[in-house]
Amino acid sequence: MVDLIQYLPILIFLGIALALSTAFVFLPMGAARLTGTHNPTADKLAEYECGFPAFEDPRSQFDVRFYLVAILFIIFDLEAAFLFPWAVSLKQTGWAGWATMMVFLAELVLGFIYAWKKGALDWE
Amino acid sequence: MIQAIAFYLFATLTIFSGAVTILARNPVHSVLWLILAFFNAAGLMILIGAEFIAMLLVIVYVGAVAVLFLFVVMMLDIDFAQLRAGFIKNFPLGFALAFVLLAELVMGVGAYKAGGLALGTPDAATAPVAGLSNTAAIGALLYSRYLFLFETAGIILLVAMIGAIVLTHRQRGDVRGQKPSSQISRRPEEATINLQPEVGKGVTL
Repeated sequence: MVDLIQYLPILIFLGIALALSTAFVFLPMGAARLTGTHNPTADKLAEYECGFPAFEDPRSQFDVRFYLVAILFIIFDLEAAFLFPWAVSLKQTGWAGWATMMVFLAELVLGFIYAWKKGALDWE
Repeated sequence: MIQAIAFYLFATLTIFSGAVTILARNPVHSVLWLILAFFNAAGLMILIGAEFIAMLLVIVYVGAVAVLFLFVVMMLDIDFAQLRAGFIKNFPLGFALAFVLLAELVMGVGAYKAGGLALGTPDAATAPVAGLSNTAAIGALLYSRYLFLFETAGIILLVAMIGAIVLTHRQRGDVRGQKPSSQISRRPEEATINLQPEVGKGVTL
């Protein structure tokens, strides 16, 4: 069982971060409301962007290569996630556990070489 | 005390953001609320002592899967008017699915009231080793007893990687990539020439 008191500082920091970010958002709004004249019009609130329309449909299709990069990232991310319990339990699993992970890494290095040789990691 | 407060905080936020995930009209907002739900679920996992699962939830689900969801949502060319047009037509099917899910929920609550599950007692090989942290206990089992499943996971990852590359990678012919060795080994003498052309005459390159 974990000693949860170890996580208390993180919880406290979480609270402080939440309070600070809330203050940064709402304090300037309140200060501006109290000190300046609050007189918005449609033209003042409109976004101005030079050269292209400020609003358009965000659902434009873009290059599938972004998706490939994301998939490759997930796969190597998962591989790294498997390394953490392996690293802390080597004393229990011994050489057999070490060899297991080396086989696992070899499998993924194979995939890595394939991705590299195919040019999937090049942006062009 | 703090544990109870943290539990109610995380649990409430998980349920709330899960509900907003379903109810939000904009799919991109849905995914962002889903990410918040993942974060709070990670907090709940820490509270029950499953540290590794909590970190995995943040690293894999928030870091990778949610990003992929965003990709898919943004890539899909959804026409909302067309989607709503099929609502009446597909209503019976949708209603049937919703009913099945509701029945499952009711049965789940019923099972909860019936008492705890009688899981098999762990044998000597799978019993958690005393004095080990959660992560080390997972590792001690995963890399010895469940070694075959672990290697299978590696093979599945390899297949996924190769499949993604085969399906989506397109080689464009007109691209000139970098060739570092020849670029570095190039000398000024072979790259430039000095000429003194006469007045009124051109230069042939």
